[in-house]
Amino acid sequence: MSFGILFAILGGVLAAVGGGIGSAIGVGRVGRAAAGVVTEDPSKFGKVLILEILPGTQGLYGFLIAFLLLTQIGVMGGSPIQLTTAQGLMYFAACLPMAICGFISALHQANAAVSGVSIVAKRPEESGKAIIFAAMVETYAVLALLISILAMFNITANIGA
Amino acid sequence: MAKVEMKYAEIIAPVETAKELFDYLQVRSVMEVKKLDEIDGLSYFETGPVVSSIEKYLDTAQTALEIIDKYAPAKSSLIDSLKGLPEMSESDYLKKSDEADEILGICLKICNAEKEISEDKALISRSQAAIDAVEPWLKLDVPMQFKGTETSKAIIGTLPDDYTAEKFAIALAPYLDGEERYECEIISHSADRSCVFILAHNEAYERVLSALRSLEFAFPSDPTKHAPEVRYGRLRNKIAEAEAEIESDTALIKELAANRDDIKFACDWFSIKHDRYTALEQTSAGDSIVAFAGYIPADKCETLSKELESRFSAAVEVRDPPDEDDVPVLLRNRPFAAAVEPITEMYAMPAKDDIDPNPVMSIFYYILFGLMLSDAGYGLLMAIGCGIAKFKFKVTGKLKKTVDMYFWCGLATVFWGVLFGSFFGDIIPRISAEFFDKTLVVPWAADTPGSIALWFEPVNDPMKLLCYSFLFGIIHLFFGLGCAFVKMWKQGNKTGAVFDCVPVFLLILGIVPIGAGILNVTVPAILTTIGKYLAIAGSVLIVLTAGRSSKNIAGKLGIGLYGLYNTASGWLSDILSYSRLLALGLCTGVIATVVNTLGCIPSNKIVKTVMLTAVFIFGHVVNMAINLIGTYVHTNRLQYVEFFAKFYEGGGRSFTPLRTNTKYYKVKED
Repeated sequence: MSFGILFAILGGVLAAVGGGIGSAIGVGRVGRAAAGVVTEDPSKFGKVLILEILPGTQGLYGFLIAFLLLTQIGVMGGSPIQLTTAQGLMYFAACLPMAICGFISALHQANAAVSGVSIVAKRPEESGKAIIFAAMVETYAVLALLISILAMFNITANIGA
Repeated sequence: MAKVEMKYAEIIAPVETAKELFDYLQVRSVMEVKKLDEIDGLSYFETGPVVSSIEKYLDTAQTALEIIDKYAPAKSSLIDSLKGLPEMSESDYLKKSDEADEILGICLKICNAEKEISEDKALISRSQAAIDAVEPWLKLDVPMQFKGTETSKAIIGTLPDDYTAEKFAIALAPYLDGEERYECEIISHSADRSCVFILAHNEAYERVLSALRSLEFAFPSDPTKHAPEVRYGRLRNKIAEAEAEIESDTALIKELAANRDDIKFACDWFSIKHDRYTALEQTSAGDSIVAFAGYIPADKCETLSKELESRFSAAVEVRDPPDEDDVPVLLRNRPFAAAVEPITEMYAMPAKDDIDPNPVMSIFYYILFGLMLSDAGYGLLMAIGCGIAKFKFKVTGKLKKTVDMYFWCGLATVFWGVLFGSFFGDIIPRISAEFFDKTLVVPWAADTPGSIALWFEPVNDPMKLLCYSFLFGIIHLFFGLGCAFVKMWKQGNKTGAVFDCVPVFLLILGIVPIGAGILNVTVPAILTTIGKYLAIAGSVLIVLTAGRSSKNIAGKLGIGLYGLYNTASGWLSDILSYSRLLALGLCTGVIATVVNTLGCIPSNKIVKTVMLTAVFIFGHVVNMAINLIGTYVHTNRLQYVEFFAKFYEGGGRSFTPLRTNTKYYKVKED
């Protein structure tokens, strides 16, 4: 019995937890600012809601990585494949970009979105720009997601071969 | 089909036709009025007081509308909001405008009724507080200001504790010697307060009072002149009266709410008038003439100046706008391209020298949006929803553009969904496998059982889609560079166009086969060789030309090398940025598949059907909503940051003609 499968699952869990915590904090942070704006002007709900959702995607990406990983190593199908410790660590490493970058980028995206909320409060016609500012941060979560996915798929391809 | 050419017109008209002329301009909505420079003998129209009184009327009408919406909300549905504004013919509109004063009277009545209601509400809460204060004293049958008789003195007040008669006597005992003659009555008592009435003999008064003080006795702050009951009754009556008044005022507002449509009209009417008088402020007037200038779209110039000359005996002089002028920008595109105008406007209107990016941008916007959402089911829902709004309800204005945009985005999403075999995730093959125990094999994907992809499934070969994402990115960016070329060429900067764009084309074209090789794509050797020479040629050209504005050789070379570095690193990061096409596409597809997997967990087929239905509806609604936002945001980003950065300056000013800018009715020319 090797620790391979354990490391692999640990990686997936970290991705889901990192992205999830980051998003939870981020969405909560923007939500507080958004609630303040809505108290003054309920008609801005739609605009601030989009800003609130933006830092939520990291949680989704983390979930995605965790799910893909569980499928790749067969845990999802009920027949886990045999992994050596080294192979397990490879999967673990593959999950790290999403776990770390997801967590941190969600927090920073939330900061950008909170400032965006004040744009919506003062100049609602410029809310599109507020969204773009926050979305800029998202790029790095997307890149992390991508590298995690590519690494994972290629690891599976190499193990299978 | 792009930016509309603007002309500058100067108009002089007889002063007596000025009002009619502006009415006419407002209905035609083709001219943005502008102040003329000061002319001797003419002075600007002073419309400030009129404008501010109109603002007051407008405010009254809007407040009245808000009030009736609060007291008698109008039924409205989403469908109503799609239908757009009801239309009103110009003659009806003018007829109705005679009633404006009358409607304003109604609005004032509504506002006054609302004011009375809020005053009454304040009165009720004040009276209620007074009632609360007097209520504990109700059992007292003398006035609270009662001083006593000839031989006795009354002490009326409160103690901060709960006393019964017995408990009170015990509490008082330590402070008295038992000789004093006094009579005590507890009027009422509660957990933290007791109201007491004490009648003490004149001799005992001082001692009793000081004993009471030891128990923290206090006189009431507002003792009644009559028995407390009298004040209580009076307050009750006040509340009843106020309540009755509120009721009658509410009824009045509800009754006047029947005039909702008229009030809406009044709001529109006053805002139209407001705009017109603000525009009149821009005119210079003398004893017999008015003079003003403005911008007019070139194609409207001829008819407008003819009309003005014949109907208002005005003199119109049309010419090209002076170069240093801040000329407003008006975009006019076919519906397909016009649909993305709001996206461009959100970034910035095109500046004077910019070309209109919308025609090129629209096709890429739809393609990239579709690629990132990439689920035929979601795309179909979007296209159907927007199709209904578009064809059945005939939405207009800015909403129409947005609906159009999502309609085309929806169709593009269906296109990519079909290519990637994603229809609400993998619901079709999954139902076939779970409910009919058969792996679905379709003729166009015979070698991959269980897939219905016309091209390939990104999950099975993400590297392939990654390469294509970069390819689409390069094409997108090349179009951006092409726009830069066209823009500079049109401005007359032909050397700039050639030296700034062509070498980049060569360099990137040359690097593509080499880059593809790195990503394990088999490229014919000949292409790689050609690529190498193209890349070298491009690099050399950049080094030679990027520093052409510098004076000395060293500067030219230094700036040239720096230019090469900038081009290479900039384009590398721009192209890599398109990897989001793959990431977001995978995200939608995988989560949709997860939803379907969750729905199929139970093994009993009946339970599975119920479960799948519930999970399917909830899961796909959430997935679609989240991914729609993500896709929208990232498509915008690719346009703004990658595409626009290649050529678009922005910073122009929207053309805002004097027009009938209404909120509730649309005025149609007869």
